[in-house]
Amino acid sequence: MDRAELIARLTPIITTYAQDKDAVASINENTDFIKDLKINSANLVDVILDVEEEFDIEIDNLSMERMLTVNAAIEIIEDKLRTK
Amino acid sequence: MIGNDIVDLLQAEIDSNWKRKGYLDKIFNTEEQFMITSGIHPSMIIWLLWSMKESAYKIYSREAKLREFAPLKLQCNNLIIHNNTATGNVSYENELYYTESVFDEHYIHTIASTQLEELEKVEIKITGHALFDYKKTKPASVSHHGAYLALVYL
Repeated sequence: MDRAELIARLTPIITTYAQDKDAVASINENTDFIKDLKINSANLVDVILDVEEEFDIEIDNLSMERMLTVNAAIEIIEDKLRTK
Repeated sequence: MIGNDIVDLLQAEIDSNWKRKGYLDKIFNTEEQFMITSGIHPSMIIWLLWSMKESAYKIYSREAKLREFAPLKLQCNNLIIHNNTATGNVSYENELYYTESVFDEHYIHTIASTQLEELEKVEIKITGHALFDYKKTKPASVSHHGAYLALVYL
């Protein structure tokens, strides 16, 4: 899976929980889930569970700790897909 | 240093489905899940424990200038609930935070500090969301969620 496809599959998940819908339009790798998209911290769990379902991977606690940006999410998904 | 967190229970109910498979496992350890499932108000305990973790995390992240999403590393202990108040503590890395919470059917509010005495000294103001320019009043800690704004003054 290339990066573009990965972002295309990740974006709808993030969009569901983003409270700043305007910021969604300009999602890029540097986008911060909490600071930019105003995702409620309790909903970060939903983002992680949705990502696990969408990509059929398991995100361990250590990976979850740093999953605060689009870039980190991509790295984690790529890593988990590789070792699947 | 003081931290605080408010949970608007109606907003939490709208935004979060804690019954979702895997949800509780990502946030709460075995002991915490036991506290949640052994009572008659699981959602109340969920958001109480959550606000304890959040208020402690806010102090840690400010002091350490570090952000991470590690709810399982924040461990709630010694929770004692009385009518509409609760006390407890949260351990995180090598720190211990004392917490005090108040709640009713609409919200749960928790303050946290590394010093128990500090919790006694603070003044807490809970209002509707940003009805005034609260920044001018120089609160030590601010939390907003849903319809509520919580301000804590030292």
